[in-house]
Amino acid sequence: MRIELQNVKKIYNQGMASEVKALRSVSLSIEQGAMVCLRGASGSGKSTLLSIMGCVFPPTSGKAIVGDKQISRLPDRFLTLYRREMIGFIFQRFNVLPQLSVIENITLPLLPLGVSPKERVRRAKPLLEKLSITHRQDFPAGNISGGELQRVAIARALINDPPFLLADEPTAHLDTRLSLEFMDIVCGLKKAGKTVILASHDPLVADHEEVDRIIDIRDGQLVLPKSP
Amino acid sequence: MQINPFQRQCNILDYALSSLWRRKLKNAGILVIFSLVIFLVASFQLLTRSLLGTADEILAFAPDITLQKLSAGRQVDMSEARLAHLAGIFGIAETMPRIWGYYFDETNGANYTVIGLAEEKIAAAGFPLTGQEETGFLKRGGVIMSPAVRDNMGLGERRAFSLFRPDLSQVSFRVAGVFSKETNLVSGDTILMCLEDARDLFALDDNAVTDIAIYVTNPLEIDNIARKIAEMMPDTRVLTRSQIRKTYQAVFGWRSGFGSICLLSALASFVILAWDKASGLSQEEKREIGILKFLGFETRDILALRFWESGLVSGLALVIGLTLAYIHVASGGALFQPILLGWSVLRPELFLTPALQFSDFLLLFSFSVLPYLAATIIPAWRSAIIRADTVI
Ligand SMILES: Nc1ncnc2c1ncn2[C@@H]1O[C@H](COP(=O)(O)OP(=O)(O)O)[C@@H](O)[C@H]1O
Ligand SMILES: [Mg+2]
Repeated sequence: MRIELQNVKKIYNQGMASEVKALRSVSLSIEQGAMVCLRGASGSGKSTLLSIMGCVFPPTSGKAIVGDKQISRLPDRFLTLYRREMIGFIFQRFNVLPQLSVIENITLPLLPLGVSPKERVRRAKPLLEKLSITHRQDFPAGNISGGELQRVAIARALINDPPFLLADEPTAHLDTRLSLEFMDIVCGLKKAGKTVILASHDPLVADHEEVDRIIDIRDGQLVLPKSP
Repeated sequence: MQINPFQRQCNILDYALSSLWRRKLKNAGILVIFSLVIFLVASFQLLTRSLLGTADEILAFAPDITLQKLSAGRQVDMSEARLAHLAGIFGIAETMPRIWGYYFDETNGANYTVIGLAEEKIAAAGFPLTGQEETGFLKRGGVIMSPAVRDNMGLGERRAFSLFRPDLSQVSFRVAGVFSKETNLVSGDTILMCLEDARDLFALDDNAVTDIAIYVTNPLEIDNIARKIAEMMPDTRVLTRSQIRKTYQAVFGWRSGFGSICLLSALASFVILAWDKASGLSQEEKREIGILKFLGFETRDILALRFWESGLVSGLALVIGLTLAYIHVASGGALFQPILLGWSVLRPELFLTPALQFSDFLLLFSFSVLPYLAATIIPAWRSAIIRADTVI
């Protein structure tokens, strides 16, 4: 259960005038149970790197291993199936559907897995409790506070109990208090054995004591720490 | 991980229902308009079918052969003496001289069909009647009329009334009976009387009739006998029942065809409108699909979702529209009678049995549900293959 990238490249709109080389040969490896921060300025390629590790799309070239599978050549459909199992993803803008209730949002990933409504509720309950949003479970997600929304997004990422938790700039829209709260939750998950990868340039995230490793990225390339 | 495909489909259906509910205003609007259009088309379809059925019943009472005299290409009356010529043709079971005319009732502004038959023939025909006179025979001065004519004349339970000869002198009549509803289309504006009274009313010569109804012993011989009569009397028009049926069907067919074209184009324009509405997926809908895909919905799940959504809306509209149309036609088809029976000022109170044929259903289905499904699913296909990373 690790993530390993070897010479991973990602080119958007390859061959077109709008071609963008988002990643130029990235190699790294992340061991199970680690908490890692991808740090870099906007446009440096954090989201792209996270997407490849999150089985959203394969790299243009190079080798990517997530868990125990090489995903670099997987067709789209199998990538989706694999992502459902392995990855919990928290978006920068939460991407919660405002008209659905909190519990409906959280259990969305269970629908295509053919989980019955009763079982869905059963699985959501402990998460709602752990994240203290039980009292909001039937509220439309559009009617709850930003902090609660953040926790809904976390609960949704965890509903399939995936080994990897990925978050893209999770604190970008949160104030300091909520950012710290988020980090607390995530640290708890790390202790529970999840591998956590955070993309962020927020010092509150990068400099958190529980972060095992910071990976700096610039213009699509890893910045190697200067040897002392 | 084992996935239960049935439960998965149930989940998607469930989600489809809840998204329909979330956009209930838009969907209710589409449902109402869609149902209305289907209601109109289906009513028309049902009514036409039902009228054709009624016409068939009427034709069952029509004689095998109808003989009319033509002069300068127009129908004129002829002498009863012709009956004697017919007697020589083998295979004729019965001949029935008739007077068939139209009486314009100025006070009520309505046209009546006046049919004169020999007394004994009326008795023998045994028309289904209500409010019959004791004798049951149609004596001179007595008439049988349709309920609609009685209502139109405002007779109520009164039996005595009078009509005018061409010279405006009055002829007195008595209502001897009223047709019961089964024979409606033909008897809708019919006054049946004996031959002599009809002659008197229209001031025809003695022995004059407008046509002769002929019944043939062997139905297979009808065309043959009709040809013989035509050869024998070149100045006549000889109509067989099947020719009359064709005329009927041509009239109904043309009218309903015309109506159908109008209505189908209404349906088509609705579908185009719906297409326009449904295909332009809003930004919000695109985002929703992107999120669902990211969360593990496959392309086929998204398509199933759209299929349920639009299938439910258009299927429900079809059911509602058809049900309303059935009720509408069963209760008289008020909306379309002026188009279908436009020739009669006096609108007969039709007694219709709606008849839905599978082919009609198929036609409606393929003009409503199918295009709507296509209109919603094809654009969804385009968005369903949107990559999941668009929401990052
Ligand atoms: N879908 C895309 N199509 C084309 N270019 C993209 C796409 N996504 C990202 N890029 C480009 O790739 C580069 C890296 O983007 P991204 O990975 O989003 O960086 P970050 O998350 O660090 O801001 C940027 O130049 C960005 O404009
Ligand atoms: Mg980014």
